[in-house]
Amino acid sequence: MAKVLRVDRLGKKYGGRWIFRGLTFELGLGDRLVILGRNGSGKSTLLRTIAGLTQRNEGSVVLPEGDPRHTLGLSALEQSVYAQLTVEEHLEMTAELRGCPARIDELLEKIDLAYARGVLASQLSTGMKARLKIGMAIQANPMVLLLDEPGAGLDEDGRNLVSRITEEQAERGCLIVATNDPLERRLANLELQLAG
Amino acid sequence: MNSSWRVEILAIFRKEWRIEMRSLSGLVTAFLFSVVTVYAISFAALNTHIPPTVVSGMLWVALLFSAASSLTRTFLIEEELGTADLLRLVARPHAVFWGKALFNIFQCIVTSVLVTILFLGFTSTQVIIPWLFGVSLIAGCLSLAGAVTLCGAIASQASNRSMLAAAIAVPLLLPLVALGVSGMRVSLGEGSLSGGGSGAAIGLIGYAVATLATGPYIFAAVWKS
Repeated sequence: MAKVLRVDRLGKKYGGRWIFRGLTFELGLGDRLVILGRNGSGKSTLLRTIAGLTQRNEGSVVLPEGDPRHTLGLSALEQSVYAQLTVEEHLEMTAELRGCPARIDELLEKIDLAYARGVLASQLSTGMKARLKIGMAIQANPMVLLLDEPGAGLDEDGRNLVSRITEEQAERGCLIVATNDPLERRLANLELQLAG
Repeated sequence: MNSSWRVEILAIFRKEWRIEMRSLSGLVTAFLFSVVTVYAISFAALNTHIPPTVVSGMLWVALLFSAASSLTRTFLIEEELGTADLLRLVARPHAVFWGKALFNIFQCIVTSVLVTILFLGFTSTQVIIPWLFGVSLIAGCLSLAGAVTLCGAIASQASNRSMLAAAIAVPLLLPLVALGVSGMRVSLGEGSLSGGGSGAAIGLIGYAVATLATGPYIFAAVWKS
């Protein structure tokens, strides 16, 4: 199976304490990994480290060849959107910055936000913001998709949306989901437990 | 600049523009600083002649405070609000720097034109060397915007970023203010071109080029660290 993502002896520490160390795994096409662990165990930090948003202390992360703006997508709970921009403007901006097709109508349909395309992000509910972040994450059809607590704030339709997104991602590349929700284990075919 | 860079830089500029037009926080703050400064000086110097040195100094104080209001908005607020990660994932650092610098230049020029009209009108000051006045103002705006963007960029990754940005801004902006006041003072009729006016203009242009040329590289180095 073609390897999409390789994490080799990855380590991250804060203030002298190792959050995780020596993490090694490979994900191939169709792999869906769920990262489990109690609060503070480093699930979000691991996703941020893989995405390059947090500096690692040791080890390496090998992403698919190409521009990471196209090959990697991340939707995280702590990530914010611009309160003064509309849903449509977010998607337009991220497409222009990535240099990829905006696919606004298609994405709005997919994340079920077509009715709110002109609404400012400040007026969106938590669940709607989560959908928007997922939309931005999958806009460039990334090979690697990282979802941090994807179900948080989402209703049943939203959770079904996450299921559909993960199915599609498995056909395109690989997926890593960090979660505390036991229900989200069903999204994965691989599990990684962080001890913290 | 190829079309990709242009599209990316304009995307950042458009984002800043939309946010500013909907919140008006930067422009209103700059406008208030300008009006209050002009009003205070005009009131203090009622029926008296204000020497060009004082006028140029006060004009630059107004410009400086207006520009300083951009300091937090440029990069610090992106970190505070958590939107910086979104930009890191989708944008190249040079595009982010240039988009934000362009918006700061735009805002600085709008503010400086407003401040200048108010100042010259209320203090009845005459511009003796218009080209030098124009160069001092435009190059001053470019330099101010470049320096403020650079300070925000450098400090954006620090834990106490607001304090650090202000601390970096002081040594960066002091020589700029000195150059700006020198150039503008001569343009208003005090001193001579050969006695520092031309040198100040060249210095301001050099300062603008230096901050805007090195800024993107410094920013790229700290953006993902």
